[in-house]
Amino acid sequence: MSSPTEATAGTAEASASAVRVFAATAWREHGLAALLLAPALLCVLLFFVYPLGHAVVGAFAIPAAGDAPPGWGLGHFARAFDLYGTDIVFTGVLVSSSVLLTGVLAVVIAGYLTLGETPWAVATLRWLYRWPLFIPFIVAAQMMRSFLAKNGLMNNTLVGLGVLEPIQTIGFLDWRGVVATFVWKQLPFVTLLVAGAMAALDRSTVEAARNLGAGRLRILLEIVLPQVKRTLAVALVLSFVTMMSVLSVPVMINAGSPTLITVDMAYRINAHGDYGVANALGIISYLMTGLVAWIYLKHGIRQHGGDPR
Amino acid sequence: MKAQTTLLAAAALATALATGAPTPGYAETVLNVVTAGDQNMVDYVNDFLAPRFEMANPGVKVRAAGTGPGDGGSQKILEKLEAQQKAGTAAWDTDVAVVHQVGAGKLVEARLLAKYRDQVASGKLVTRSTAENALGTDVGGYVLPMFHSQIALAYNPDLVKNPPKSYAELVEWAKANPRQFGYNGIKGGMSGVGFVMGWVAANSDLGAKLEKGPYDPADKAKIEQALGSLKAFNQTITFTPGNAGTLDMLNRGEIAAGPVWVDMFYTWQADGRLNPSVKLALLAPGLPGQPMYYVVPAKAANAALAAKFIDMATSPEVQAEGIVKRFNWYPGIDAQHVQAKLDPATWNKLFTDVTPEDLASKGKPFPLGPYFKDIMESYERVVAN
Repeated sequence: MSSPTEATAGTAEASASAVRVFAATAWREHGLAALLLAPALLCVLLFFVYPLGHAVVGAFAIPAAGDAPPGWGLGHFARAFDLYGTDIVFTGVLVSSSVLLTGVLAVVIAGYLTLGETPWAVATLRWLYRWPLFIPFIVAAQMMRSFLAKNGLMNNTLVGLGVLEPIQTIGFLDWRGVVATFVWKQLPFVTLLVAGAMAALDRSTVEAARNLGAGRLRILLEIVLPQVKRTLAVALVLSFVTMMSVLSVPVMINAGSPTLITVDMAYRINAHGDYGVANALGIISYLMTGLVAWIYLKHGIRQHGGDPR
Repeated sequence: MKAQTTLLAAAALATALATGAPTPGYAETVLNVVTAGDQNMVDYVNDFLAPRFEMANPGVKVRAAGTGPGDGGSQKILEKLEAQQKAGTAAWDTDVAVVHQVGAGKLVEARLLAKYRDQVASGKLVTRSTAENALGTDVGGYVLPMFHSQIALAYNPDLVKNPPKSYAELVEWAKANPRQFGYNGIKGGMSGVGFVMGWVAANSDLGAKLEKGPYDPADKAKIEQALGSLKAFNQTITFTPGNAGTLDMLNRGEIAAGPVWVDMFYTWQADGRLNPSVKLALLAPGLPGQPMYYVVPAKAANAALAAKFIDMATSPEVQAEGIVKRFNWYPGIDAQHVQAKLDPATWNKLFTDVTPEDLASKGKPFPLGPYFKDIMESYERVVAN
């Protein structure tokens, strides 16, 4: 039988060796993990966090002008609102309405894919709706340009069919063209996620509603939609962020003003070398996307008591 | 198996080439020509100048790159050279640059250019003021004009029987024919910018002051007032996506009139890309035109070769054959040296719709640098916002 002191020493030794073993295991497991993570982490820091910080600093830094020393202030933001106030509002309204329209259409398509009763129509739609997913924004914009122009493919077809007279045609190469392109391009992405969520639902609720005599529209709106609305919200928030960042579509389709702030940012940098106002516009666009993400999170938390899934 | 061996051999050969193993007859010196402006500028260097220069200088390869239309294109060149200057690079990788007037002024002020004009024989063939002064900045010695071009109103005579002759008539016409006039704003190239500059000159009493100065910051109020009426005018017109976009919409019949670059207009017609019946007119009191300049960066890696390239490009023969005959620009060097090298028919083609008298009375320079900046910014504040 060992004395209490020995026992303590033994315990201490045992615990020290346990710590050593633990440290060695931790290094083996986590050190390796850290090493594996490092390149990705470094890339994020170098190519995202650093430029982001640079842009934030640039938005508030006021360069020396004449006798005034360099300093900090909101001057770039004031100029951004002075020159592009309308464009900022326009961007918010146009992107929000594109997102809403995308949401409505995605629910309709996904709903038909889930509840449709004509097998060949469902199969055709399933095959068709994904195509725009594989087309880059700039190609989509070019296609829309030749499709929606005053004398473009759409109007020429309508004139050819005798629906319209040539004099009645109007071009859609303005904000309407941008909305059309955004919706067309983002629709498959949202539909894909929503249709996936709908397919994973427990069919018994749908069958039960059907047995009780509910129509398909009612089942979609009252049974299916409430169960997939979190997926829908995620898809729409991601679409909002994507649309906010697109430059090619407004440049190619919406030549006049007002236009999206991505165009203004490119113009400030390309034509004036004015990174201050461009950075300020960038921060404004971060805030707009941040607001949308915040609304979503807040909504999620309220519904699930702190679990914003 | 055999295919695999062939593939391996090909891969080995490609590696040898890529690692720069010298091959007989392979170009040893690369002359980098960077040009602002539309695609036609890059085409001109690649299709016309490069083959001639390479033939006359064996072992030299000319590589052209475009930086985009409008002043933005020149700005990119400025930023690139500035970055190399700040980095302390000994030999800059741009040998010849082609820039707009605003860009040339900024480049000279930032001391990024070499004073090369005296080393070039054709430097003596230019007496026009644009070779000395770019929108108020003294650029004498640093630049040679590659060409001069002019903005004019293109219109479709099938749709417009009596084309407007002045800005005032254009406003009336656009009111009577909504959406039939189109221009590209100020973000899509210089033809729209020129139209806006002309608008300010026509709708204020600043006309001569914009060109000759002296600059007075208090004139901003007058500029904003002149642009106020442009905002109303913009409600009755169509916006086009760029210099080429205006020509494209004219050709499709989507607009009936719009401001275009004269050289692009003739080139498009010659290529069959534009309805041959479309015509040109200069609006009173005037529309701006501008040269583009050949410049050599201060620390160009191949400065001597660059001067030789510009000497060839501004020689009367090349100006006649390339600038006037093939690309429909007005010559960069003085006209009499070029006219002597061309038959009268080709020369006169330049002046079919816009006569030399029109050019003299209604062809204006762009406003001085600070006025230009004020107008651009006021446009964004008053018209676009």
